[in-house]
Amino acid sequence: MLTLALRSLRHRATAMTATFVAILLGTAVMGSFTPLIQVALEPGTPSAERETLLILGGVVGAWGTVIALFSIVSTVGVTVRQREVEIGLLRTVGAEPRQVRALVRAETLLVALVAAVLGAAVASLTSRALLDLLQSGGVVSEQVAHSGGLTALAATVVLLLLVSLTAAGMAGSRASRGPATVVLSEARTGTGRLAWWRWVVAAVAVGLASSSVAMTMATGKDAADPSEAMAMTGSLGLVVAVGLAALAPLLLRAGSWVLRPLLGGTSGHLAAYNTSRRSHLLAGVLAPVMVLSAASVSILMLVGIDERTLPTGLPPEVVEGFETANLLNNVVTAMICAFAAIMVVNAFAALLADRRLELYRLRLLGATPGQVRGSILAEAGVVAAVGTVIGLLAAQATIVPFAYVRGEGLVPDAQLWLPPVLVAGAVALTLVSAAGATSRALRTTSGAR
Amino acid sequence: MTTPALEVTGLTRTYGTGAAAVAALNGLDLVCAPGTFTAVMGPSGSGKSTFLTCAGALEQPTGGRVVIAGQDVTELTEARRTRLRRERIGFVFQGFHLLPYLTAEQNVALPLRLAGGRIDAAARPRIRELLDRVGLGDRTGHLPAQLSGGQQQRVAIARALATGPDIILADEPTGALDSHTAASVLALLRSLVRELGATVVMVTHDPVAAAYADSVVFLVDGRAVGRMENPAAEAVAGQMAHLDELTARTEQELV
Repeated sequence: MLTLALRSLRHRATAMTATFVAILLGTAVMGSFTPLIQVALEPGTPSAERETLLILGGVVGAWGTVIALFSIVSTVGVTVRQREVEIGLLRTVGAEPRQVRALVRAETLLVALVAAVLGAAVASLTSRALLDLLQSGGVVSEQVAHSGGLTALAATVVLLLLVSLTAAGMAGSRASRGPATVVLSEARTGTGRLAWWRWVVAAVAVGLASSSVAMTMATGKDAADPSEAMAMTGSLGLVVAVGLAALAPLLLRAGSWVLRPLLGGTSGHLAAYNTSRRSHLLAGVLAPVMVLSAASVSILMLVGIDERTLPTGLPPEVVEGFETANLLNNVVTAMICAFAAIMVVNAFAALLADRRLELYRLRLLGATPGQVRGSILAEAGVVAAVGTVIGLLAAQATIVPFAYVRGEGLVPDAQLWLPPVLVAGAVALTLVSAAGATSRALRTTSGAR
Repeated sequence: MTTPALEVTGLTRTYGTGAAAVAALNGLDLVCAPGTFTAVMGPSGSGKSTFLTCAGALEQPTGGRVVIAGQDVTELTEARRTRLRRERIGFVFQGFHLLPYLTAEQNVALPLRLAGGRIDAAARPRIRELLDRVGLGDRTGHLPAQLSGGQQQRVAIARALATGPDIILADEPTGALDSHTAASVLALLRSLVRELGATVVMVTHDPVAAAYADSVVFLVDGRAVGRMENPAAEAVAGQMAHLDELTARTEQELV
């Protein structure tokens, strides 16, 4: 199985790039913070610093694990789906589902091993730089010494490997389900009903967020600790976005219906029907676009409001706490955005690799390359529009209560230029990754038949 | 004499260079008059598929000419060929090649849209009429996944007719269908030729399918080695079993 996995990997080096980058980046970011836990636990570290370091390392470590799991599941799933035909072929010549899963696991583990070790090497440098930064910023005192963090880095690598294996297990079992066949299930349409658990996820997330918003707005102004409101509202935008992401196919269908009058011409016509009738395909791109815009807008606005409205005359240790919190906010946001961006690019690449035959078919029927590219860009436009609008709405779950509690009213006083800039970034990312993936798919179709 | 719908002269197509060069087509000549149904038969590797991609202006031949209704397609640029392809040639494929997210009606209208036309009040009845003609008047709003294989191929045939092409090129149109459905699809193709005056060229390796055509052209090693008018399935099958004789005869003629 290992030999087969090695040969298979050599054949699809590029397909595995997304997984590789996700794991490398995940290890590098998490590995920059997890040694702080080890530093905190060194006997020489003052107990006042211990707590700060534990929070920094723990929060980023936990978030990182969740985010890395999400993006690795998505990238591995995509590389496996691209090979439906190959896996079907393996099964028709007698590979058991168990063997298919083992192949996927072995491949992923090999890639993960290289990526995680490289990521740890990067992290061994960046974690020192991080501690220096924290010390020069006054978050951590100069007495704390970096202990190298080898144990923490090793633990991070092991954690990432476990996460990758879990992801590969999930992708592999999906691929080996059902009868052995070499036929692509292209015609699956996405107008069916959503699974019940999607509604549950969405309802729980939105319900939880709205009760937190109501509670914060009712009581937050009187709270003794000014950091309480931040703790309450900080993640609400993200929670709503993730919850709504479970309904992504439905939202895409609704969005494409609303946008249909704007989708003129042949390309627009094709895009309108593809986004509404095969919404389950593009939903894989829509979800990260929503999360990306919601996370970046909500947290960056939150940090902005906090810096403007922090009461003066607070004791220095409280101010230090806020500095730590905002540093964490920025790091976690950057991490979420980086991974969401990888997922957008990767999901488009995978989607169009899947649709190569369909694009070839359009060319056979007399579509010019421009018309094909236009229709994919129009689809990406629909996804970007729906994703950023919903992301912005979700972000309000953080911004509105926090601005209100901090006395800025329902709308923040400043930085209103920030959301449009971030939205423009998300739209540009979606369109560029679609354009890149289309060019690649069209290049390969011209030879294919 | 009327202009042939398709005229192929001295068509050659070579893949690879030097010692590895393989001639898929080796001086093929073929003429199809308007309103005829021609089957092109040959064993695997005889150049059937290459003939279709060259005749359909999908691929540029190495040598020779392809003239569709008086227009030489081999001297056109890629953009002009794409335009010609969608306006003057209709394709029917073994794998149907419908777009999964468009309804039957939208699939049929697609070539018109790609040609830049809006589907106006004049075009809509025509599309309905085509779907009626192929027996799917009550299935216009169905997606391909909701149609059987035979129905999907009928949609594809209606789509091939949408622009009123000079010629319809069919590549093993019944290859993915059971014999009963295949017979009805072939009868449909023949009736389009008889009643609408369409010109159909069908590549196949099935003698029963070829028997629906007005004439069968036999291809061996990239050349036409024989022709049979008003073919019967048994006669075609018999001829296929003795293609080597046809090859020997043409070689004698050439000497």
